[in-house]
Amino acid sequence: MDNEKILKREKLRRMLFSFAPAAGLVILFALFMAFAIAQDINIPYSLKNILNQSVIVIVVATGAIFIYTLGSFDISLGANMCVSALIGAMVYGRTESLVMMLGACIASAVIISLTCSVLASVFNLPVFVTTIAMLSLLNAAVLMLIGANGTGDIIQVPAEAVSSINTIQFKLFVLLAYLAVCVFAFSFLKLGRQEKFMGGNPVCAALSGLNNSKLAICAFALAGLGVGLGAFLTITYAPTLSRNTAGSVGMDVIISIVFGGMPVSGGARSRIYSASIGALSMTLLSQIMLMMNLNSGISQMVKAVIFLLVVFISMNDGRKTILPR
Amino acid sequence: MKTVEIRNMNKRFGSTIALNNVSFEAYEGEILGLIGENGSGKSTATSIYAGMQKCDSGEMLFMGTPWNPSSMNDALKKGVGMIVQENGTVPGVSVAENIFLSESQRFKKGPFVDRKRMINEAQTALNQIGADHISASQVTAMLDFQDRKLIEIAKVMANNPKVLVVDETTTALSQKGRDIIYAIMEKMKKENGTVIFISHDLDEIMHVCDRLTVLRDGSIITTFKKAEFDEDAIKTSMIGRELSGSYYRDDYGDPAGEEVVLKAENLCHTNQLDHFSFELHKGEILGIGGLSHCGMHTLGKVLFAAEKCESGEFTVYGKKVNTIAEAMKMQMGYVAKDRDTESLNTEASIKDNIAIAGLDKFAVSGFLILPGNEKKYVQKQIDGLSIKCTGADQYVSALSGGNKQKVAFGKWLGRESEILILDCPTRGVDIGVKQAMYQLMYQMRQEGKSILLISEEMAELIGMSDRILVMKDGALKKELFRSRKLSEADVIQYMI
Repeated sequence: MDNEKILKREKLRRMLFSFAPAAGLVILFALFMAFAIAQDINIPYSLKNILNQSVIVIVVATGAIFIYTLGSFDISLGANMCVSALIGAMVYGRTESLVMMLGACIASAVIISLTCSVLASVFNLPVFVTTIAMLSLLNAAVLMLIGANGTGDIIQVPAEAVSSINTIQFKLFVLLAYLAVCVFAFSFLKLGRQEKFMGGNPVCAALSGLNNSKLAICAFALAGLGVGLGAFLTITYAPTLSRNTAGSVGMDVIISIVFGGMPVSGGARSRIYSASIGALSMTLLSQIMLMMNLNSGISQMVKAVIFLLVVFISMNDGRKTILPR
Repeated sequence: MKTVEIRNMNKRFGSTIALNNVSFEAYEGEILGLIGENGSGKSTATSIYAGMQKCDSGEMLFMGTPWNPSSMNDALKKGVGMIVQENGTVPGVSVAENIFLSESQRFKKGPFVDRKRMINEAQTALNQIGADHISASQVTAMLDFQDRKLIEIAKVMANNPKVLVVDETTTALSQKGRDIIYAIMEKMKKENGTVIFISHDLDEIMHVCDRLTVLRDGSIITTFKKAEFDEDAIKTSMIGRELSGSYYRDDYGDPAGEEVVLKAENLCHTNQLDHFSFELHKGEILGIGGLSHCGMHTLGKVLFAAEKCESGEFTVYGKKVNTIAEAMKMQMGYVAKDRDTESLNTEASIKDNIAIAGLDKFAVSGFLILPGNEKKYVQKQIDGLSIKCTGADQYVSALSGGNKQKVAFGKWLGRESEILILDCPTRGVDIGVKQAMYQLMYQMRQEGKSILLISEEMAELIGMSDRILVMKDGALKKELFRSRKLSEADVIQYMI
């Protein structure tokens, strides 16, 4: 075999590898359609459900990609979203304005997120350490907010107040607008390049003039924006808020990002679309297993196995077999 | 008796043929040199023999019996040890834990590890190779590159190997470190062991080795016996052509510019810099020489604002520089000694590495990256520096040492740096790439750029510098000027 053929084969292999998560999504979608047709399920209704379930995770996870790209992570995303949603609901209670509610959600989420990164910068700590501390603080804040402003267990926004925006069209609009901002920042701004480089080798990045603290602050600000939008969408979807609101978001975000092909260590191979692919894939997989009548225990096990498999494949893509010479 | 036999070995990495039917052998009581350009297959062949990876086809024998180690550890236990080219220690654990990384079972004391015994034995291993200045209880990350290399050597030698592979290790070491390795090699030879020695330093390899096997593009070209050693013949067989033009610059009496572009005054840094002052002129190559621990590597970092000094200051074009970003704005660039950690992000592409320092140069309005602009910017460096690669998207980890170094250069040349701090710029690169780099440095000098050349290679300093500042214990010991008469002995006498 001549060298050119081998080169083409190698390029093809790399291309296939980079498209593997998207191919996985397509396969899952095909499987879902096959089951839906076989079981005569209302496909538009099911698809709407899948989107409804995925939108919030996609928004939050897409913002979180900026943090993961730096090789860091934020364990407090779910708690941040809960607090932001509670503050948003309280602001609505005072103003009866959806715009003010949106503003309050975004402002509080961004401030909380920035606090993590600024504290890390001031005390020279890894950012994830401050997010762990922030998780405890936010959980306490949730209890205080609900105790002080609600009925004791919940804070409510009247359902009729948000019914006009609780539509799939509105959610898709928010999602696409935020995705556009993130894709632009990640792929066409210096910020995205610098974050990928910093995540891959912080020492070399610093010696190339990159400032880790500034990049972390930008990453957390963008992630905070996603959390704020996620909090707003949460209120529109489920206007009765409790201490359990967004309880699983933190874990869903991590799983979606990894499932979408994002390397756990961040760096140059980070992809902004990983969150969308991963969240949709996870929801489709859950739906398929539901249609197969698998009980929740088995379905969790299947997800865990697939999760490990994806991480294993993404960490063994063949590049490391090439010996530095 | 033959200790090492490799027959018809083949190895391919994706589209790259790393080894093409390679066969060679080494004998008891022999030091066999392997030499060749970066990417010629020296490290690949020996790393396969030492159990680091598998070959695609071929046969290996050790002491006449088939040899197929499952890992480096397995090979070491059975008598074949290798000191690798790249950094092979774990930074976050102690020196003792590094030396006995795979042998913690040996120190089991009930459910615990007998740390005291491990440290004692590690210290013995260090003392035996002459690295008694390293404490076995120290955290490895606290040590410099040379000492970490000595830990690797101690680790290998603690297992009394019959065959020792030394892969491009000596260029990372000062004379003291080199002497330690030479002594080990000589001892092994006397005790009927075998050493396979890989180096780009032709003088060193000719001096140390009994035979010399030359590889080029994954194939064995020829083997020279000691009596046949001839520098020109070896160079020609290595690169497949005669080296044309001068190796170093050959001008004398061509003065550098008058303008002072960088001025350092009384720089002090813990045990590394002691009231160090100097001036760098426009269009000057200023060599900084000394023993590895003399502070010259710290000086490079301080001048790029990567490390703060305790007192003293430096100015670039008359302005103080406090951060790396400011240094870059003043058109400074810095190629670090530790290429794979400090100069390059090896898990990123060539494009990412070259573009990262020049984003402000091609970004529209200083922030918007257009793929076309970026591609043009990077391709200019790939073409200009003749970087051998499959394309700008190739990962740097897949490049040979010389091409990695070219990427590190390209990163700073792309943004048209006027002042370059080069710390051991030709470490681990072959003579072909070395010559190209020397020509590039000279060309830059002629264009009026200023270069601070920090180097542990005397010949390089003498051959390339307009002036040489010799450092000892962080202080300026002597200033020497470019002259045909300047010899290595003239420089060395002020270093030690």
